[in-house]
Formats: sequence, structure tokens, C-alpha cells
Amino acid sequence: MSKQVNYTEKCRRIAGTFYNMGLEKAKIRDLTGACRCLKRSLAFDKYNADARNLLGLIYYEIGETAEALVQWVISSNLKQENNRAAHYIYELQGKPGRLEDENVHIRRYNQALIQAQNDNPDLAILQLGRVVEHKPNYVKAHMLLALLHIGQENYAKAGQSLYKVLQIDKNNPKALWYMSIVKSHTGRADVEKRKLKNAFSHHQMQDDDIILPPTYKENTGWQMVLHIAAGLAMGAAVIFFLVMPAREEQLNDTHNREISQVLEQVNQKSMEIDQLEADRSAMEAERDAAAADLKAIVDENGGVLSQYQQLVHILRAYKADDFPTAVELYSDLDPAVIGDEGMQTVIAEIRQDMEERGYQVLADLGDQARDAGNADLALVYYQKSLNIKADNPQVLYDMAMVYQERGEEDTANELFGQVIMNYPDTELAGLAKEARGY
Amino acid sequence: MINFEEELSHFKPSLEVEEVEDAIVESDLTDMADIMMSLIKEGSGNKKNDE
Repeated sequence: MSKQVNYTEKCRRIAGTFYNMGLEKAKIRDLTGACRCLKRSLAFDKYNADARNLLGLIYYEIGETAEALVQWVISSNLKQENNRAAHYIYELQGKPGRLEDENVHIRRYNQALIQAQNDNPDLAILQLGRVVEHKPNYVKAHMLLALLHIGQENYAKAGQSLYKVLQIDKNNPKALWYMSIVKSHTGRADVEKRKLKNAFSHHQMQDDDIILPPTYKENTGWQMVLHIAAGLAMGAAVIFFLVMPAREEQLNDTHNREISQVLEQVNQKSMEIDQLEADRSAMEAERDAAAADLKAIVDENGGVLSQYQQLVHILRAYKADDFPTAVELYSDLDPAVIGDEGMQTVIAEIRQDMEERGYQVLADLGDQARDAGNADLALVYYQKSLNIKADNPQVLYDMAMVYQERGEEDTANELFGQVIMNYPDTELAGLAKEARGY
Repeated sequence: MINFEEELSHFKPSLEVEEVEDAIVESDLTDMADIMMSLIKEGSGNKKNDE
């Protein structure tokens, strides 16, 4: 009996030792190693609840939920009191739908495995992609996915899956092996080998040796592309944020300067135009004045030239002893226009002669026209006569009579009034009164 | 180098939740203590028979 106890105790101790090893490995995430130790522990002592519970936890951690459940159920049956396994089972089964969800992903993995093993890797990859998306710690799914990617020579994607596996289970031997193959195909293995060689080399340094800083990284193909792209992006950013504003400012300055020059030229031209306008206005004024002068000179009736001509005609009529013609011409003469002093003397002599006898010639011509029935012409002659000698009641009376005959009573009465008022003691005044009906 | 087909054949399906019960029933829970006990019992039985 004591022998039995002795053996049982030894087995428990060995089991405890394996459990401790498993626990240490689990703490450093060597889950495969921990799993192996815990299985050995249980092989020596199936009642080691801690070992079994930890084994269940490791299964759960690598995505094998059903395996974990098996271990925890057995553990809770073998040790029914004060067992952590009951809590784990409660956690899994307590939340509705959780176990079903886990099972869905496990089933999908199994389907993907069947598809992969039946030469349908593409479908399997799709299926596994969905599985690891929802259950990222499912090591077996990652491993199968990595293998399928390696089979399709898609080493980058295989590397991604393996990286995730090694994050969960650091010493997973299969994952490490797959990863070494992936690295050998992506060139990563050479880089790491060189790094390792540099890190542990103790040779004498030569003058041309270069010490690479620890931050230095060898570029693989895609990293180089990434760096070039980043460089281009930074260059574009520098151009956009530094060069472009400076260039824009420079262009703006240039444009502003050009605009200022153009505006200055425009102002100058405007001033020139204003000056030219002023000149033109002055020239036009001069032209108008000259035209007015010329018009004044050449005007047929009142022009200087015509008045000189008129004067010449008068003198010619005098010379021909045709006094009536001279009188008629004189009646249309404007002596004020003729500025020549010599001519003014001649005009004064003619004026004196016209005032002495010329007015009567015109009055006679008016009478002749009146008698001939040409009232208009008569009035013209009477007016000309009055222009030479205004103090002539007879002509005024004759004019009033002509107007009265024409029915222009107002004009006639005014003229009669002048006769009555200015020459009250004359016979004509009495005739005028009579004509007006006094 | 990986032999793809061979590697693929090493992958086994995962245990599904519906299979947990069967897996528990089929579990071999014999440990080293059980083996030792049976060996000791067997040894003591033989001794009695010899006597």
C-alpha cells in the first residue's frame, strides 16, 4: 500500500513539474511547447486540474473552442469543487449564440480544408479569409491559408498569415518553417542573415568599413517602391506647400508690376489724350472764330466784303450820276462793319448827302410803289427812308396809311400815334387823328 | 521545400461543438498512476498465486 502511495506521489510530482514547464512556456507564448508539456503532465496525473484547465485555455487561445470545452468538461468532472473550469464553461455557454458563432467558423474551416484537399484552393482561400476575419486567433485556419498562398506562390500574403500565427504562438514549429520558406522567396532571409552577421561580427574594422546604424533597414522591392512613392509624395507636398506659394507670389509680383506699368502708360496716354482734346478744342475754337471771321467778311448781306462791294457800287452809281440807285444801295449799307478810316470819311460824306436828299428819293419810290399797288415794296422803301432820316412825319403817316389799307390796324395806329404825339401842331397830326377816328 | 500535397494531408479537421460529447466519452484518461497501480495489482496477484 505504501508502495502505491509512493508511486502516485511521484507521478504527481512529475506531473507538477511538467505543468510548471507548460505554464512557463505559455507565459512566453510558446503555446505549442506549453501544450506538449501539459499533455505530459496529464499523462502522469489526470487529476491535475490546473494542467487540464491551462491546456483548455491554450486550445481556446488558438481557436480550438471545442477542444477547450472537452478539457474543461473533463476537468470539472474530475474535480467538481473549487475548479476554474466551471467558470470557463459558464463564460462560453452563458452568452447566447457565442458557442454557435464559434462553431460556424470551425465548420467553415473544415469545409475549406475539404475544398483545399479536393483541388479547389481558390474557394478555400475565400472561405478561410472570412474565417480569420471573424476569428483572428484561429491558428489552424491561418496555417492552412498560409499553405494555400505558398502553393499559389503568393508569399507576401502567406507571410501575413504566418506573422499572425507567430504572434499567437511564437514557437509554432510549422509556422516557423513556413515562414523561413516565405522569407527565402521574398529576400527577407538574406537581409536577416546579413543583419545577424553584422550584429555578431568581431573582425578588425578597415578604413572603408561602414557602421550601419541600428535604425538602418535594407529595402526589399516593394519597400523601395513604397519609399519612392513616399518620396514623390513628399516632393509633391514640398512643391505644393513651399515652392508653389513662392512661385505664385513671384508671379503675382511680376503681374502687379506689369499692371502698374500698364496703368502708368494708360494714365500717360490719358493725359496725352486730354491734352490733345484740349488742343483740339482750342483749334476748333480758333477754327470757328476764323470761320466766323471769314463768314463775317464774305457774308453777302452783312459781311465786310459785301459792304465794301456795296460801297463800291454806291460810288460807281455816284460816278454815273445815278442818285436813286446810290440811295437804294445806301439803304442796305452797314457802315459800322467797315473799319477803314479812309472809307469812313467817304461814308460820312455819303451819309450827309443821303440825309439831305436821299431820304426823299426813297420816300418817292415808296409812294410810286404804293400808287402802283405794291404795298410791300412801298413799306420797304418807306422804312429805308426812315432809316436814313427818322424825323419824317410824312413818311410815318404814309406808312401808317399803307398798313391801315392792309388791315394792320395796330401797326397803323402806332405809327399814327407817333405822328400825333411827335408832331402835334402839324396838318399831318390832324389827318392822323382823323385816320384813327378821333 | 514544401511538398504541398503532403503538407495539406497533415491538416486535420477541427473538433466541432456537436462532437464534444463523443470526444469526452472517447477520451483515454488513463494516466501513469493508473498504469502503475494496475502493474502493482498484477504483481501482487501473481505473488499470491505462487504461494
